[in-house]
Formats: sequence, C-alpha cells, structure tokens
Amino acid sequence: MVFSSVLFIYYFLPIVIIFYFIVPSKFKNFVLLLFSLIFYFLGEPKYVIILISSCLINYYLSKLLGKSKQRKIVLFVAISYNVIQLLVFKYIDFFITNLNNLFNLEYPLTYIIMPIGISFFTFQNLGYIIDVYLKKHEPSNRLIDYMTYICLFPQLIAGPIVRYIDIERDLKNRSNSYAKISRGIKRFVIGLSKKVLIANVLGEFVKLIITETVLASWIKPILFTLQIYFDFSGYSDMAIGLGYIFGFHFKENFNYPLIANSITDFWRRWHISLSSWFKDYVYIPLGGSRVNKFKWFRNLFIVWFLTGFWHGANWNFILWGLYFFVILVIEKLFLHKYLDKTKVIKYIYTLFIVMLSFLIFSTDSISNILLELKNMFFISKIPFSDNVIIYYLRSYMVNIIVSIICSTPLISKIANKLKEGRLKKLYIFIEPLIYLGLLILSTAFLIDASFNPFLYFRF
Amino acid sequence: MKEKLIVILFAIYIFAFSILGIVLPKDIYSYNERRKLKEFPSLTLDNTYVNKLDAYLLDHFPYRDFFRSIKANFNYKVLAQLDNNKIVIKDEYIFKLNYPTNQKSIENYKKNIKKLLENFTENNKVYMVIIPDKNYYLKDDNLLKLDYNYLEKELTKLDINYIDIKNLLNLEDFYKTDTHWRQERLMKIVQELNKQMNIPYEEQDFKENVYSSFYGVYYGESAINKKPDTLIYLNNSLLDSLKVTYLENPKLTTIYNLDKLKSKDSYEVFLDGASSFIEIINENSLTEKELVVFRDSFGSSIAPLLTPYYKKITLIDNRYIDSNHFLEKIIFKDQDILFLNSTLLINESYTLKG
Repeated sequence: MVFSSVLFIYYFLPIVIIFYFIVPSKFKNFVLLLFSLIFYFLGEPKYVIILISSCLINYYLSKLLGKSKQRKIVLFVAISYNVIQLLVFKYIDFFITNLNNLFNLEYPLTYIIMPIGISFFTFQNLGYIIDVYLKKHEPSNRLIDYMTYICLFPQLIAGPIVRYIDIERDLKNRSNSYAKISRGIKRFVIGLSKKVLIANVLGEFVKLIITETVLASWIKPILFTLQIYFDFSGYSDMAIGLGYIFGFHFKENFNYPLIANSITDFWRRWHISLSSWFKDYVYIPLGGSRVNKFKWFRNLFIVWFLTGFWHGANWNFILWGLYFFVILVIEKLFLHKYLDKTKVIKYIYTLFIVMLSFLIFSTDSISNILLELKNMFFISKIPFSDNVIIYYLRSYMVNIIVSIICSTPLISKIANKLKEGRLKKLYIFIEPLIYLGLLILSTAFLIDASFNPFLYFRF
Repeated sequence: MKEKLIVILFAIYIFAFSILGIVLPKDIYSYNERRKLKEFPSLTLDNTYVNKLDAYLLDHFPYRDFFRSIKANFNYKVLAQLDNNKIVIKDEYIFKLNYPTNQKSIENYKKNIKKLLENFTENNKVYMVIIPDKNYYLKDDNLLKLDYNYLEKELTKLDINYIDIKNLLNLEDFYKTDTHWRQERLMKIVQELNKQMNIPYEEQDFKENVYSSFYGVYYGESAINKKPDTLIYLNNSLLDSLKVTYLENPKLTTIYNLDKLKSKDSYEVFLDGASSFIEIINENSLTEKELVVFRDSFGSSIAPLLTPYYKKITLIDNRYIDSNHFLEKIIFKDQDILFLNSTLLINESYTLKG
C-alpha cells in the first residue's frame, strides 16, 4: 500500500487514527504495531513472516548483547544474520548471473521476490544492534516497543532510516496535541502534493518522450532528477507528517539538495538518513578521514560502492555509487577550493553532475548509458529536436517551472513571511484552505490516473 | 486555534469521504468513461490484492466525475497543458491525440486487406476510402498528429481504386464531442463515391430528425462541462421500407435503432452500433447493383445514405467477425466492394480479425 492512494488516505489512515486515539496510552504502540503489520501484510502477505522474524531475532540478539560476555560473537552473529538475509532476498540472483557470466556456468536463478522495504528495515535492525554493542543506548526492554520501532508503517517500506536513539523517548512516552497533529497533517499534504502533483506528472512527461533527439536526451535526465527528488522527498515528508500525527519526531531526510553547491554538499542534503547511516556504521568505524590518504580513499570507495549497491542489485547502481566516489575524491583533492571561489558555476556544476548521476541511476545497462551520453553530446546522428519534444515541453512548461521553484526554499520563505507579516491574521484562515485544496487536488489527480508507482520501493 | 481548525477541517473532510465511499450506492458502469467499473476484489494472498482494492476504491470514489473535472480544469486552466489525458479542446471541439503513427498497425491493416482480396472474383470492383479523423481538420500545426501523408502513401500501394475524400470534409462535418462525422453532412461524400464507382447520383429528399442531447465519447473522457451535440438522423419513406437483418440483433429490422438515442452512446442509433454483419435490401433501388462494405463505426452513418442506389448492401465490421464466419454468409460474385475505414482504426488495426 502506498501513502498516495485512496485506500491509504481515506480508509486505512482514518481507521488507524480512530483506534490509536481511543485506546489508553499503554496500548498505543500495540495499535500502531498491529496496523503496521496489516499495512505490510496488505502489500506483502507472504513476507510479513520475514519482517516479524527479523524483529524477533534482532530483539533477542540485542538482549543477549546487553548481557553476554561474548559480545563480539553476538555482534558478529547479528550482523551476519541481517547481511545474509539482505544478500539472499535482494542480491542472490545478481551474484548467480554474474558468476554464470564470468565462469561460463549455468546455475539456475532463484527468482526470489524481494520483500518490500527490506533494505530499510534491515538497516534499522543493523544500526540498532551496533548501537547496543557500542552502548549508545540500552537494548529495548519491551518487544512491542522494539517491533513498533522497526515496523512503524510511516517509515517501514521507504524510510527514512530512523535510529532507535532518536525516537527511544517517543516510543516510551509521547504526547499528542492539536499542534503536533496539525503539523503532521500539513507535512503529509505537502508530501502527497509533491508526489502526486509534481513527481507523477513529471514521470508522465518522461514516459511520453518516445522519439530520440538531442533535446529529449537532455530533458529526460533533468526531469528524472526532479521527479526522483519530489517522489522520494515527498514520501519522506509524508512519513515525517504521519510520525507527527502519532507523536513521533523523525529527523529530516532532505534539505533542498538541488540547491547544493557541491557534491559533498549534495550528499549532506539528499537521503540524509542513508548517508548518515553509512557514515556512522561504515565510514567512521573504518577510520573515516583521520587516516592516511590511501586508507581515506579506500574508506570512501567502500562507502560509495555500498551506497550504490544498496540501491539495487544491478551494475548501474554500483556505477552510480562509484561515480560519486570519483567526484567526491576530485572535490576533496582540489576542486572544492576552486568551486568555493565561484558564485554561480558551483551550482551549475552540481546540478550537472547530479543530473548525469541520475542518468546512470535510471538507465538499466551500461550500453544504454553510453548511448544516452552519445545522444546528449551530439555523437549519435540524431536530430536536435522534433515536434514531439517541442509539443510536450510546451504542454508541461508550467509544471517544470513550478517543480523548479518548489525544489528551492522560495515557497517556504514566502509562507514564513506571510505568517509573520501584516497578513498574519488572514493567513490563519487561508492556510487550512490551501492545505485542504492541495489534498482535494491530489485526490483528483489520483482518481484520474493510475500511474502511481513510488520510485524508491524497489530498494 | 489555527491548529485545532486544521485538525477538525481535515477530520471532517476525510471521514466524510470515507463514510460516503462506504454508504453511497455503487455504479456498475461509467457512462462518461464508457467502461465497466471495477468490482470489489475477492481476497487473495498475493501482493496484487491491495492494488485491486485501490483500483476498486478509485472507481467508486464519491463524486468521481467531479474530481475528474477538477483535475481536467486544473490541467487546462492553471497548468496550461495542451492536453489532458490526450484530450485537446479547441474552438468548442473536443479532440483526442491520435499519435504516433503506428507503422506496424498500418502494415497489419494492409495485410488484412490483402488477405480479404484473395476471396474476391475478377468481377468484383474494389474501392478504398480512408476517412481522416477530425484531428486532420484541426488548424494547429503544433499539435501532434498522425502522418496522414505516410498513411495514405502506404495504403495507396495496394492494388485498389482509391477514392480520396479528405478535401471534401471539414471540421464542421464532425460532432464536437464525438469522434464521428455527422450524417446530415455526408451527401457530398455519397456523391463522390457514386461518381468514382460509376453509380448515377440522384438527389434524395430526407427528413431531418433531431436529437439535441448527444454527449459523444470525448465528452465523458474530457471531464469538462460542454454543451451536448445535436444528432440528426435522416429519414424518408424509402429508408423506412428497407429490409434490414442484423446478425447479433435479429429482432431489429429497421435502419435506425431509436432506443439507442438515449443509451450510453446515441451514435449507435445508426445501424444499431457495433454489429458484425448487416444486410440491407432495397426493393426500390435505383440500380440492380450490390455493395459490400468493410467498415468501422463511421460506416454506420453513411450506409443509410447509400441504400437508395443499391439493391443490396452488406456491411461487414471485421473487428467483430472473422473471414471464416462471414464467408459462410456471402458469396462474392460481381458486387462492388468498398473498404471504408477511419484513420483511427487503421492506426490501431490489431482489433481486426483475420
């Protein structure tokens, strides 16, 4: 079930809200857990057992970690369990295919279907186990609380990757207020609008570009960059908003990444929960940057190889991660100081590098990536433009302009000024209508179209 | 205060639509979209169930058409999109983008005709008419259109007498809210067909019967409030005296099915709409000739106007009947044969049966 669906907004969510707010505080986590499992069951009936068993095994291993004298062994077992689970369900056929190709073998593929959200809940489990090992917090004493933490439907299938330490207090004791719920509603509606009114519409445009021209080969990765940003950040906004409604405070996952002034800056703003996870659990334990240059670059290589591979069992994702490794090394070696001296070029440079990265990300084979690059840089003998791309550019021009504006903090700044300025009193009445209008409009778009896949669900 | 207002407003809105969604009666068919709505899915233990359930809820969402019109108006008026779900509205006319040119479909159409030609005799004179869809007459070069020249060039490679009618029509000859052409404006086409097929043309007196609430197929698709079209069907004593036999509807014996005027598609008044095989016998015909028309829905409205000239007209819609079946009902001897299809069908010809 996706958040941007009638089933979720008009049926699942109201039912959860009714039960959540009528039960006494001590049963609230149970209600959330129960509905989170139903939420998962509706999308992946057979794999709900994987989710539950993963929670149980990690919960009891963490308890053991708290008490055992053989802590390293327990940690090793816990990490191995989680990694093997991920390898089996997500990567096994990738390895078999590549081994078959490399050694001319014919091992049959398993065709195991990946449980939805496995990358996210495995990383939360791993992070939790490592934090218990490092004694950053005590292991949870209540199974219900732990399972609620892992299975909480707002962040279960597409993140953000929430650290236990960040919501430990909320899990044990949280309060609800009109202010929090209203904040949650607004955030949810913003996320829904980003997903339905912007990302889906841009995706529709990308699908309509059916002819090969130089202009189209540029437009496609530009639109995909905007689409994936609004899709994923929209989902994170909805997750954060739902968190507020139920009294949780999730950390931000995006901070206007498309206005970053370098790739280093971009990764501080894009999918923050994932980059923080790799930083805290891979990069820093390996020594981070406080080692010699060779080890530093080795650490960066490992982190970016894993970041790419986390996104999917395909070479284009590995290439995507290593592409960022190369760019980040170049930035750290010398480019950064040159970029710092520029005013505009650093932004254009960042957008260009990011756009190329998403060309790699969205293209399923290396030969197709090369073909797209040839098309972009006039190497292929294709026309510069044609009536198809011109027609759709004209048709979607307002959408593109709106999406570019919304990818910057401009709207947020205007809203803040209105809240504080002379129109303050008027804004009190206008604001709810704006959000209600956005919800009605998003519903209208959902009803009218069936094109609604979330891009980040495959991870 | 403000926070409370937002929470209450959203709670009322969401719960109201949840409850309405449950209690309101469910339609089985959407007249506007011309399709059957989804039924409540039976529970299955796979990951497709949730999508089926959501599709059902979307189909039966309260005031669904109102929400569709919000989206359409927003797309046209706020986002200034040139089309909404391929629907273009210009000068009170509703068009649907018929693009891109499907070369494989055109080949398939040609293949289909070639196969049919094998069944004809040397005495059968074969003609072909391509009816341009109304986009052809839309004066907007920026709009994505079929490559009509390519389509015509490819089809005229067939060894058939080609009757070119594209310059005889204009936009006013089509309904504003529908794909089809208007029967009352087709005498010029009849005249041209007769001229090219060596049939003497004689002016006929027709009575114009007016139905003023024709909401065409594009009306519902557009989700925009527009005035309905006026549908005129022509009649006279000769047309009343025709003997008409429908394969699927043997009870009907008239050239018009007036019950269809108020149905989901009023255009089906002409020859009962989708019918695979129809025979029309005119005992008072101006010639002794017989005509066999391979046609789509455009043929339904022009066929009555051809009846005065032929003793017998056989209409075959080979989207609904294959050659094995219609060859049991017809023997090709010396009839005139007319392939009369629109570019809409030619560009989507996979519905044709072999």
